Amino acid sequence: MTTGEESPIIRTSSRRFAKGLAVIVIIMAIGAGINLGFADFWHKFPPSNQLKIQEVKGGESVVSTGVTREFELKFVESADFRTLGFNAVTGEAEANPPIEVNVGDTITVKVENGGKMPHAFGVVSNPEDPNTIVFKAAFKSASDPIKSGEKGEVTFTPTKEGEYFYICTVPGHSLQGMQGKFIVKKAEGAAGGAVAPAKPTGMSHSFDFAFTESADFRTLGFNAPKGEPNSNPEIRVKAGDSVTINVINNGKMPHAFGIVSDPENPNAIVFNVKIKSADNPILKGQTGSVTFVADKPGHYFYICTVPGHPLQGMQGDFIVE
Amino acid sequence: MVLEIRKPRPLWEILFSTHHTDVALLYTVSSLIFLFMGGTLAMVIRSELLFPGPTIINDPSIFNRIFTMHGTDLLFLWLLPFAAGIGNYLIPIMVKYKDMAYPKLNAVAYWMIPPGAALVWLGWADIGWTAYPPYSIIRAPGPAADMWIFGLKILGLSSILSSINFVVTILKCKHPDLPIMKVPIFVWAMLITSFMILAALPTFTASLIMLYTDRLGVSGFFNPAMGGDPIAYQHLFWFTFHPEVYIFFIPAIGMAYELIPKFSRKPLFSYSSGVIALILLGLIGFASWAHHMFSTGLSFIEKTVFMVGTLAAVPMSAMHVFNWIATPWGGRIRFAAPTKWVYGGIALFFTAGAGGVVNTAIPLDFITHDSYWVVGHFHLFVMGTISFIFFGFMYYIFPFMTGRMYSERLASIHFWLMFIGAILTFVTQHILGLFGMPRRVYDYVSDPDLIIMNQIASIGAFMMGTAMATFLANMIHSTMKGKPARMEDPFEIGEQYYDYRRREPHH
Repeated sequence: MTTGEESPIIRTSSRRFAKGLAVIVIIMAIGAGINLGFADFWHKFPPSNQLKIQEVKGGESVVSTGVTREFELKFVESADFRTLGFNAVTGEAEANPPIEVNVGDTITVKVENGGKMPHAFGVVSNPEDPNTIVFKAAFKSASDPIKSGEKGEVTFTPTKEGEYFYICTVPGHSLQGMQGKFIVKKAEGAAGGAVAPAKPTGMSHSFDFAFTESADFRTLGFNAPKGEPNSNPEIRVKAGDSVTINVINNGKMPHAFGIVSDPENPNAIVFNVKIKSADNPILKGQTGSVTFVADKPGHYFYICTVPGHPLQGMQGDFIVE
Repeated sequence: MVLEIRKPRPLWEILFSTHHTDVALLYTVSSLIFLFMGGTLAMVIRSELLFPGPTIINDPSIFNRIFTMHGTDLLFLWLLPFAAGIGNYLIPIMVKYKDMAYPKLNAVAYWMIPPGAALVWLGWADIGWTAYPPYSIIRAPGPAADMWIFGLKILGLSSILSSINFVVTILKCKHPDLPIMKVPIFVWAMLITSFMILAALPTFTASLIMLYTDRLGVSGFFNPAMGGDPIAYQHLFWFTFHPEVYIFFIPAIGMAYELIPKFSRKPLFSYSSGVIALILLGLIGFASWAHHMFSTGLSFIEKTVFMVGTLAAVPMSAMHVFNWIATPWGGRIRFAAPTKWVYGGIALFFTAGAGGVVNTAIPLDFITHDSYWVVGHFHLFVMGTISFIFFGFMYYIFPFMTGRMYSERLASIHFWLMFIGAILTFVTQHILGLFGMPRRVYDYVSDPDLIIMNQIASIGAFMMGTAMATFLANMIHSTMKGKPARMEDPFEIGEQYYDYRRREPHH
């Protein structure tokens, strides 16, 4: 060890410290410049995995045809588990029946695992890629499959015509035979018992709705939270009447408006009546309006199309006579 | 610089030096810069929450970016580098070696921090410091989130490199005449911290890669749409980050052990119990990660195991606190700034620990989960305890770094504003949580109770902001023009602390 006389104590000086401070400030200023200069760039791109999913998600919500169809499919395996199929092992006559439906139909597929292996159901655009699910038509998945003997069902609405495939989404099973055609056609005219559009009556109505929430956000409703006197008024119009609907969001949560055939399915839009959507909702205080011709008689529902909100009370009857 | 060698050198020579005191200076100064950057964001957050409704920030995603940066910055760029900086200053001196074991690696470990920090700070990701999937993999916009992932990857690598360096320095380069049971407890603290980093961090490093490949869409580890499991990420994440809480805390424990005997002018009450409690705390840190996940559907047995594992840290913490109270008992306590900060930190540690016992009880955890209670608890720990002790140590090391004395009066203002502010903010946040205020929100129901409590918390935060401004002014002014410190005994304790005139050959 040396003594104090030989190596004097070095103390910081103002000049040296100011130099250091200047270096720091300059670096931070450059950083802030780069950050702000590219302010839009940093949050521009969704994750790459989303690009694929957006492609196959199918179109927007469509006009519901009101037709409900049911199909039953059973997962079947050959005795040596090499060949698989729906309803029968591939190669037999009744195996993998092709399914034909129209855009806008409400489809229910009931599946049953009649084999011993785990399976899962899905409608896909590419039969060899279980990730290309369309119309959200999938029941269970490879990581949480339908076990032997179990049953289940999935309900969905095809939104885009085309040729698709229903497959077992457990990897490899579709190649072993578990795939059938799922053809979606354009809904032409009065398909499947739908009534021909009514002629315009020339009458027009206008309705105002306000999205309202209770103080604890548990109960929602139009004009008043569900259960209160003015909540969710019933609307009756004649077929062919022109209807204008004005909405305002008086609550704090985001909402969206739509008229649907099934109050629990925000995608079952009818007459193409919707104002905004759950992805791009009506925010607090915003308003919106839509005008349409109610050309098909029936019992419909006006709802908030943000998932969950109709169940919390945001649904009312919309009856076309 | 007093702990420095030879003579004043140009700045660039310090920047590219591999000498441990130079690297330590870089670590300490950068960590303080990041402390002020992250603290500014805290002020923005509390200003936004002063009133319900969108006030100064209209876009919730900007609020998300702000709290993400606040958390990421203060955890990885303030707590870790500051501990590494102090370790770099003192470990070679304490184990009587000329430098760290691998001086070049030491400099490399430091120089990984600026690029990592630049990646994190340039992007302003909005994924929260936890980056939980599915949001972080299916929605979080890039390249910000990808930059965050890579930034943390670099910072993690830097931690691992500096840990290796500390372990080798302490175990292999210790002076042969110095038995391991005679080194200061701070050396033990850095040794255990380094071992914990080496054991815990690889898990998170792996899960960062998995996050990134999930974002690319080539894998689906955590993507439910591809059969992945988001809960698996939480396990991997908390396997690293519960021990990480102890990694933040144990250097602070070591610093408290360094300060308390000196400023009590009395030997440590029990050296061996301190060492044993540190080792056990390091081990127990690995037995409690899933207490962050009680509400994810763990079975009763799993929850019970992790509840017990968490509570097992209580006796060890109590051993430390006992040591810290028994040591000054009957001593001649010198109430300089470091003493205030250490005892303030211990007082708040006790409060934070009491809240932690509530959190870990399974049924109570369900009430406090994801509420402001958690925010209050966590901040009382990292701010009220760890940062308090760090501030104390900063004041303590200040004369050794600069050869000048800080202003004791400003330090006192800093402490009292901070202490009262921390109690106002973080204790109130506990109660806010019990009133049902969720964490990570930029708006809240305009209920009179929530408004008044948020305003109390914000006022406390502004007090802390003022305190930190005082700190900054004190540091700048005292470094430039402070009274020259009497280097034999700057705190007038009556002993010589370090062999500060050591002059080791430079690399």
